[in-house]
Amino acid sequence: MYLYLPVALTSINILVPVGLGLAVGLLSGLFGVGGGFLMTPLLIMFGIPSTVAAATDSNQIVAASTSGTYAHWKVGNVDFKMGLYLLAGGFLGGIVGVQGIKLLHAMGNADFVIKMTYVLMLGIVGVYMFIESLQSMKKKKNTVVEEAKEEKESAMGRFLKSLPLQTRFEKSGITHSIFVPIVLGGFVGILAAIMGVGGGFLMVPIMVYMLRMPMHVVVGTSLFQILFTCIEVTFLQAYTNHSVDFILAVLLLLGSTVGAQVGAVFGRKLKADQLKILLAGIVLAVTVKIIFELTLTPSLLLSQAGGH
Amino acid sequence: MHIHLHSFIIHYARFIGSTRFLGTLLLMLVFSLFQLAGARPASAMLTAKANHDHITIDFFYHGSTVSVRGESDPNVDLVIKITSPEGHQVLKQRGKVGGMLWMNVGQLKFENTPNFYEIFSTKKIDDILSREEMEKYTIGYTALQKHVDVTPVANEEEKTKWFTEFVRFKEDSKVYATSFGKIETTMNKDGRQDYYILTDWPYQAQPGDYLVSVYAVKNGKVVEQAETKVNVEQVGMVKTLATMAKNNAAFYGILSIGVALGAGFGVSLVFRKGGGAH
Repeated sequence: MYLYLPVALTSINILVPVGLGLAVGLLSGLFGVGGGFLMTPLLIMFGIPSTVAAATDSNQIVAASTSGTYAHWKVGNVDFKMGLYLLAGGFLGGIVGVQGIKLLHAMGNADFVIKMTYVLMLGIVGVYMFIESLQSMKKKKNTVVEEAKEEKESAMGRFLKSLPLQTRFEKSGITHSIFVPIVLGGFVGILAAIMGVGGGFLMVPIMVYMLRMPMHVVVGTSLFQILFTCIEVTFLQAYTNHSVDFILAVLLLLGSTVGAQVGAVFGRKLKADQLKILLAGIVLAVTVKIIFELTLTPSLLLSQAGGH
Repeated sequence: MHIHLHSFIIHYARFIGSTRFLGTLLLMLVFSLFQLAGARPASAMLTAKANHDHITIDFFYHGSTVSVRGESDPNVDLVIKITSPEGHQVLKQRGKVGGMLWMNVGQLKFENTPNFYEIFSTKKIDDILSREEMEKYTIGYTALQKHVDVTPVANEEEKTKWFTEFVRFKEDSKVYATSFGKIETTMNKDGRQDYYILTDWPYQAQPGDYLVSVYAVKNGKVVEQAETKVNVEQVGMVKTLATMAKNNAAFYGILSIGVALGAGFGVSLVFRKGGGAH
C-alpha cells in the first residue's frame, strides 16, 4: 500500500519505511547509535529529498531512542549523570560546529572537508574497535569481563585523574573529572555538527575507550543522550527548514520503536566484545560504501540542493 | 482667379489625401480580416480538453492519469506540451576533486525552467517541425536548452553538458519526458481529425497549475494552437499537514516530537506488558 508524504511531496510503499525503521531501530537498541548514517542515505535512495530525509530521520530517532532508553533503563543500564554531562558538552560543541560549518563554506570546498572528516572518523573508529575487540576476545576467551574493570595505569589515565572536580559515576562504576565528559561530548558535538550526523558512532567508542564505561551502560546512556540531541534537531529542522515529514516519521517509528526494544533484549544476550565487533563491522561497511561512492562515477551529476 | 485656382488645388489635394487615407484604412481592414480568416482559421478549429483536469492529492495518492482530447484539421500532425510555470532551480553539481574523488563541487542555477515538461507528438518532432518553430514555441529539449539560462558555465559546450545532465536528473524524477506515437488519431464523420492521448501523471509532479498546449503542425510550421489546464491540489489531511509545516512550524515541530515521544513510551509499555505475560 502506498501513502503520500505531504512534506517530502512523494509517495512511498509503507512497507519500505516500516521495514527500514525496524532494521535501523534494531541496531539502535543493540549498539546505542541513532543510525542516521544508515537511514538517511537509504531514504534518499527511495526517493525522499535529502533535506527531508535527514530531518525526518532525527524525528523518528526521538521515538526509537525513547523506546531504547526505556528498555535499557528498565534493566539499570542508563547512566543519567554521565548522559547529562555529555549532553552539556555536546550542546556547546554543536554551537561551535555550526560556526565551523559556516567558516568552511566561506572558505569554499566545504564538501571536501566534510566528506573527508566523515570517512576518516568512520574508518578510524571502525578499524580501532574491530582490532581492539578481536584482541580482547582472543585474550579472555572464557571469561566475561567488563572492560571498565580492566584499569590500565597509562599516562592518559594519570592525567585524567589529576583533573579537578572529580566525581563518581555510580552506574558506570567510574570516577572522572566533570570536565572529561563535557570536553569529550563537546568534541563529538563539533564533529557531529560538521558532518551533519548525530554522532552516536563516535560517542559509543569514546564512552567505551576513553571514559571506560561498561559496554551495556554505554548503549543505554548513548541512547539517552541521542534522545535529547534529536529532540533539539527535530525542532530546529521543523522550525527553520520546514523539512520534517510527519507521516514519514510515523511510518519509520512504527518499525524503529519495536526494533529498538528487540535490539535491547537481544543485546543483553550478547557479550560486550561481540557487540563491539558487530558495531565495528557495520561502521567499516558504511566506510567502504562511502569510499565506493566517492570513487565510482555517479549515475547523475546533479542532485537536489539543500542542507549542506 | 489665380487665388481661386490655388485654393481649389489645395482642396483637391486634401480630398485626394483623405481618400488615400481612407483607402489605406480600408485595405488594412480587409487585410486583417483576411488574416483572421485565412492564416488563423485555427482558433475555431483546433480544440483541446483535458479530462480529469483537477487532480487531488490525498493520503492514498500514487499518481494519476490525464487524458487530452480534441479535434483538428485532417492531415496535420499534433504536438502536446504539458508544462508547469517557469521558475529558477538550484541544483548541486558533482565533479571530480583531485582527479579521483567524486563530490559536490558547487551549485548550478537553471533559470526560466519549468519543473515539469512533457512533450507528446504524433511523429518525431525533428521530422515535423522546423528548428525555428521549435524554438518559437519551446518544443523539445534543444529548444528548451536555448530558452534556459544556466549559471555559472564558461561556454556553450559546458551549458550543453549541464543541461543534458539536468534533463537526465529530471527524467529520473519522472517530471521530464518526450515521446512520440502515443497520440491516437481517427477521422470523424465530419471529415475532421479526432485526437486522444491518455498518459500517466507522475506522483512526483508537485501541486500547482499545469498548462497543456496543443499545436497543429503542417509543413514544418505550427498552424494552430489550443490550450487547456490541469490543476493538481493537495486536499484533506495532506493539505492540513503541509500547510501546518509551513505556516505553523513551531507547533508542527512540537507535535512531531510529542508524537515520537508518545510512540516511544507507548511501545515500551506494550513490550513491558508483553514481557511480563511471558
